[in-house]
Amino acid sequence: MMWTPGTRPDPGQLLTVPEIVVLEEGRGHLRASHADREQAIDVLKAAFAQGRLARDEFEARVGQAFAAQTHAELAVVTADLPARMTAGQPPRAPARIREQRTRREMSQGELAAVLGVSRQTVISIESGQYLPSLPLAFTIARFFGLTVDKMFGPGGEAGP
Amino acid sequence: MTAFIRPRLRKPLRIALAGTVFAAAWAFRGGGAWQLSVAMEVTVLVGAVTTYVRAGEDNDEGALTGSRADERQKLLSLRSRALGWNFAMVAAFIGVTAGVAVKAAWWWPFLVILAVTGFAYLLGLSNYGVAEEGTADDVDTGHQTRSRSTPDRA
Repeated sequence: MMWTPGTRPDPGQLLTVPEIVVLEEGRGHLRASHADREQAIDVLKAAFAQGRLARDEFEARVGQAFAAQTHAELAVVTADLPARMTAGQPPRAPARIREQRTRREMSQGELAAVLGVSRQTVISIESGQYLPSLPLAFTIARFFGLTVDKMFGPGGEAGP
Repeated sequence: MTAFIRPRLRKPLRIALAGTVFAAAWAFRGGGAWQLSVAMEVTVLVGAVTTYVRAGEDNDEGALTGSRADERQKLLSLRSRALGWNFAMVAAFIGVTAGVAVKAAWWWPFLVILAVTGFAYLLGLSNYGVAEEGTADDVDTGHQTRSRSTPDRA
């Protein structure tokens, strides 16, 4: 199954975070973070390991992912690959926070105001540049209705 | 102590106060130094106003200047200060070494800076808990404490 930006996905089809952002929020023009690129590259790695991509194609797409500036450009890189291939690799904590935030249709500034931190700090956490303190991690997890382990743990998994 | 002052005003006021005291010192010196003192005061006031404007910006620097920094921004500030002190210590060491080498009379202020920064570092270690390690909680269990790197002889 594949999804092409600009079309509707098949029922039950799993999408990556950049694809969700492009599809549901029409915000494909938003700038991609390191965490977004890493997630796309994880999908590409899984596809390469399963033989869905030849080495040349894999290397070319990784290069495209690194060079991608927006969610729309990232979504194109993984558009013909099923995102569920990475089901065994839960998203990293920064991607999880971004995912939870976008699900609630909150801007980074709005989340920052709720958490009592600056917008720049939310950006840093989502891009993986800053690991929050334990009190802030608890605040973030409680806000999203998850445990700290699920939110920030290496094997955590974002709930609904 | 400054809680009654608006956060955005705290640093500009601090700058203005420190600059005014320094300018007053030049005025107190007497002679023609009062002109320098006036120029210094004007510069300080311009600096304070600039700081106030920058304190309103929506970025890390603005948050720090406006005394509304969160934990990450405070950490940034702490790291930057530590880097600044490291540079100061290296510069002071170079200064005292060069001063001694050329038999200059100005070597001792550098030594004072080195001594003060070194003492402040030790004070920090003491103040923030290194000297309060306490007793290991397994001391009364009868187990022999050993390093993790010790090979298991069992």
